[in-house]
Amino acid sequence: MFDPALFKLPGMRRLTVILALLAVIEGICIIIQAQFMSVAIVGLWHLKALGTVLQPMLIFAIAWTMRQLLVVVKNKLMYPVVEKTTGDLRRQVMQKLYDLGPSYVAKTGTGNVVTTALEGIDKVQTYLMLVVIKVIDMMVIPWVILIYIAWLRWREALFLLAIFPLIILFMIILGYAAQAKADRQYVGYQRMSNHFVDTLRGLPTLKQLGLSKRYAENVYQVSEGYRKQTLAVIKIAMLSTFALDFFTTLSIAVVAVFLGFGLIDGSITLLPALVILVLSPDYFLPLRTFASDYHATLNGKNAFAAVQKMLALPIATDRDQLGDQPLAWQADSTLSLQQVAFSYDDAQPALSQLNIQAHGYQRIGIIGASGSGKSTLINLLGGFLTPTAGHGTIKVNGQTVTHLNQTAWQQSFFYIPQNPYLFHATLAENIAFYQPDAGLSAIGAAADKAGLTAWIKTLPDGLNTAIGEGSRGVSGGQAQRIALARAFLDKSRKILLFDEPTAHLDIETEAALKQTILPVLDDHLVFFATHRLHWINQMDYVLVVDHGQIVEQGTPTELTAHDGAYVQLRNEMGGGK
Amino acid sequence: MKDFFATFKHDTWVMPYLRKYKKLLALTLFLGLMTFFCGSALMFNSGYLISKAARHPYNILMIYVPIVLTRAFGIGRPAFRYAERITSHNWVLRIVSDFRKKLYQAVEKQAVAIRQNFQTGDVLSLLADDIDHIENLYLRTVFPTVIALMMYVLIVIALGYFSWWFGLLMLLLLGLIVIVMPLLSVLVNGARETQSRAIQQTFYTQLTDAVMGLGDWLISGRRADFNARQAAPIDEIAQLRRADHQFQWWRDFTIQLIFGVICLALMVWSSFYWTSNRDSANWIAAFVLSVFPLVDAFQSVSQGVSEWPSYQRSIVRVNDLDTAPVDDHDQTILTEPFSVLRVGQIDFRYPAGQRQIFNQLSLTLKAGEKLALLGPSGTGKSTLLKLILGDLQPDAGTIQLNDVPIAHLQNERAQLFGVLDQQPYLFNTTIMNNVRMGNLQATDDQVKAALEAVELAPMIDALPDGYDTMVAEGGARFSGGERQRLALARILLQDAPIIILDEPTVSLDPITEAHLLATVFRVLHDKTILWVTHHLAGINYVDQVRFLEDGQFDMAGTPQELYATAPRFKRLYDLDQGRD
Ligand SMILES: Nc1ncnc2c1ncn2[C@@H]1O[C@H](COP(=O)(O)OP(=O)(O)O)[C@@H](O)[C@H]1O
Ligand SMILES: Nc1ncnc2c1ncn2[C@@H]1O[C@H](COP(=O)(O)OP(=O)(O)O)[C@@H](O)[C@H]1O
Ligand SMILES: [Mg+2]
Ligand SMILES: [Mg+2]
Repeated sequence: MFDPALFKLPGMRRLTVILALLAVIEGICIIIQAQFMSVAIVGLWHLKALGTVLQPMLIFAIAWTMRQLLVVVKNKLMYPVVEKTTGDLRRQVMQKLYDLGPSYVAKTGTGNVVTTALEGIDKVQTYLMLVVIKVIDMMVIPWVILIYIAWLRWREALFLLAIFPLIILFMIILGYAAQAKADRQYVGYQRMSNHFVDTLRGLPTLKQLGLSKRYAENVYQVSEGYRKQTLAVIKIAMLSTFALDFFTTLSIAVVAVFLGFGLIDGSITLLPALVILVLSPDYFLPLRTFASDYHATLNGKNAFAAVQKMLALPIATDRDQLGDQPLAWQADSTLSLQQVAFSYDDAQPALSQLNIQAHGYQRIGIIGASGSGKSTLINLLGGFLTPTAGHGTIKVNGQTVTHLNQTAWQQSFFYIPQNPYLFHATLAENIAFYQPDAGLSAIGAAADKAGLTAWIKTLPDGLNTAIGEGSRGVSGGQAQRIALARAFLDKSRKILLFDEPTAHLDIETEAALKQTILPVLDDHLVFFATHRLHWINQMDYVLVVDHGQIVEQGTPTELTAHDGAYVQLRNEMGGGK
Repeated sequence: MKDFFATFKHDTWVMPYLRKYKKLLALTLFLGLMTFFCGSALMFNSGYLISKAARHPYNILMIYVPIVLTRAFGIGRPAFRYAERITSHNWVLRIVSDFRKKLYQAVEKQAVAIRQNFQTGDVLSLLADDIDHIENLYLRTVFPTVIALMMYVLIVIALGYFSWWFGLLMLLLLGLIVIVMPLLSVLVNGARETQSRAIQQTFYTQLTDAVMGLGDWLISGRRADFNARQAAPIDEIAQLRRADHQFQWWRDFTIQLIFGVICLALMVWSSFYWTSNRDSANWIAAFVLSVFPLVDAFQSVSQGVSEWPSYQRSIVRVNDLDTAPVDDHDQTILTEPFSVLRVGQIDFRYPAGQRQIFNQLSLTLKAGEKLALLGPSGTGKSTLLKLILGDLQPDAGTIQLNDVPIAHLQNERAQLFGVLDQQPYLFNTTIMNNVRMGNLQATDDQVKAALEAVELAPMIDALPDGYDTMVAEGGARFSGGERQRLALARILLQDAPIIILDEPTVSLDPITEAHLLATVFRVLHDKTILWVTHHLAGINYVDQVRFLEDGQFDMAGTPQELYATAPRFKRLYDLDQGRD
């Protein structure tokens, strides 16, 4: 019930002790309040005047206020710890994210990462806020009350003590039954609950097929089926709440009847009987509040585990083998990969036996069918993926490195994928992302070289227009130009990694964009993965990739002369008629 | 308050459903009321029972009725509660079924617009979430509030029956709890909700920026900036939550204090009203004890009501959907087989757009012809297709099939046009069912033949479940080329005379693209085809090429003619063939 990981949180142990002490005091307040309320009632029952019971009434009022105040105090004590913990968690998650890098995001999915960091931690907050106080209350208050009841009359106390484990036992048994039933129905249930969104998304297709009107009835029927299944699950799931309710209220009823008989045969007087009756609901209260938030707790616990798991992931080490300053890549610099291999999940290698010798300002084209491993190779060169350890060697300027996730290396290249990401910021900020200190005129000049000037003139605030998700739409061609403007702005990065930058563009946009890209390629080491053949004419070296291996490499002329994989690929790509 | 009524002024989503399934609703409320009644009555009765027993009645039968009642209430409370939970869920889920159908119909009317206005489909999930939200509105706000109000009225009347001034006092004290506090909560929370949403939104945007742009952050080496950017909203959110919690703690504290006062007031009142003789004094404990079980029922009202602002947003959003039924009395059918499609001098501009998309554009397509439509993205190629399908209406000019305006053929659309676009949708069901959607009457063999024709049969045979394989959400388990082929099989079964292709190969690599185009033009050789494409691969499959630019066709002819006469076409063609 109590997650051991909770105790590892800073300040939690001390807090637990304080909260437990406060719970004891709260228990005592509950007893005083019950005691003096009963004294007042019994006084009135003896037909005494109001004036004689004013004092117990006052004590009741004070104890009641104290009790409620303690609830606030406990929350107030708990909250800073929770706030600090969740704040720290958020920060740690963000830093961890930075360390894990884009390959983690690719593997986990953007949506999942955002959910973990945002809603996940929100849930953790609710969880921490709820669970600690409630569990401590549940472990302290009932016993304080029970001791007092036992002191008044041991028989009722024994009964209340015996019923407690019984309730928990029943809740657990029914909880398991509900879980088993829910599990059995889960697959169909899940499908039905997703059916609606699935149908809405597919609506244009339904309309094209002439089925859309008819489908309304289907939506209704499926939804009704969903209702029936849900009810079947709820009927069982609610049983455990029912058990809790049933046993607690019935126990109170039983205690009342016991007391009634006790009073008749004179073995007890009204005052203690009334106190016991007043206290018995309070005896069960902590258990009931805990159970009512059980689901929120469960979600929070899972979210907490997910965050802990992410934070425990291993991160890349040895990132400073090339120093921590950007490399100065020059005409005589070299990069060599020998027999390097990579695999995504330790199963089949996605890349194997890579041998690449790059030097100076070479332009290296990477071609191959889709799925052959072009993007994987580019990501490996960018250091986003780590090669299989103990396989082959990578050298930068003769210096051996274990991977290319090197601070120095990464600050020396630009990476331009098919869809460059545009930040939710102004156009100028986007262009100056790699050079936040660049002046507006330099940014303007870079934008001009990237062919953005005409477009910028149509924007309401020119370079200061907000772009990115949710703001002004930017077409694919323009996004590429913005990425190119980044490269024009920062002349110190001499290496360019392109991953199919024009694959999704229409031919005219591509033709125009090509004219902009060509000047950037000068004086740079270029790796250019593409399946658009015309780019090869601008390359001075080509790697042909197939099934994760470089099956052929050489200058385009050499490869054309040699009737191998390159020629075959060209033929297939030029295919059709 | 004004805001509250404004929300429901033209409401067609919440109020009407309170009337539908009236009986079930009444039952739900009754059961909810009984739950709290039993809880309170149990303590009332127990208090009376022991007070009476303490008078040492000479016969146990004197307390027999309270004993039985105590047990009855003790069992009644959980039983009613259980039943209430089930009926309330039943009621709400019934409503949800109606909602879904209604939402579906509303969206169906603007199916095409939705796809283009909200590319990602996020809005659809949003709308689906709104419905779940309204579900919670009932379960968490409406039911508890209504039940508490009913309890409130009953209690005040009951106490007023004994003494009117005390009834009045309770009207006031309980009114603080069930009316004043909830209103206060909604006021405070409403203001904070707006602020909270803004902060959440920034946080979300920054987080998405951080996650999606992680590669850029990493290679930029701006680690400190990265951390600094995330920190600000984290602190803001924390601050907001703190204020939220503070308010809730003190609100609950105040409510509890009021209950304390009610308790004291009951004792004072009892001392006047119930102390005339020993018998009536037995009721004192009963009255005082019955207060405590009510705390639960009344306290939850404030929390439930304070959630209103978030529900309100959902209600407003679904109410903004146009749910008026479409009028289709002017629809006819095409009596003769399709022979010609005529687009005559159309003008078009999006109501929201500044640009004239088409200017006196004309196009004629005879049965059996194959035409490719090219042009830079954003020139209006997809718009032209929508005009031809009748999803949009031209501002001037005509679009006709065999002299019948397309606007009058909307009910027959699926028999006339087959459409294959960039992302054909595959439903989360089996391959067989997905393909059969092209023609629900098709036999298994016909479906298999269609899949054979699009060259998918070997791939499907290799799957463990064969034709009964589930395609998974959005067709995720198949590659882009395979998804297009599945959709193509669907179109084959649909067997419409005119086929509209809107850049079906845009996300495919050249080899897959070449193979797919070969299949498309092979299986559709006898159809009329209008093909929008973004480059020139496979251009030789068509008889006619049109280049759309600035609202008009600026190049037209067969591919061979254009290659010979139009330098621009030649340059693009060569580029495409890798000869540049
Ligand atoms: N994140 C990943 N996890 C596992 N396998 C992957 C992942 N990304 C790609 N692959 C697999 O690696 C192979 C190469 O993919 P990729 O490098 O994307 O090819 P290309 O860019 O040439 O189309 C493919 O078989 C693909 O399925
Ligand atoms: N629903 C709409 N409202 C306003 N403008 C639109 C809408 N849909 C498209 N547009 C605009 O109309 C132009 C043509 O769009 P579209 O037909 O999709 O181009 P294409 O298919 O040629 O790429 C674009 O500038 C686009 O921004
Ligand atoms: Mg790739
Ligand atoms: Mg389009």
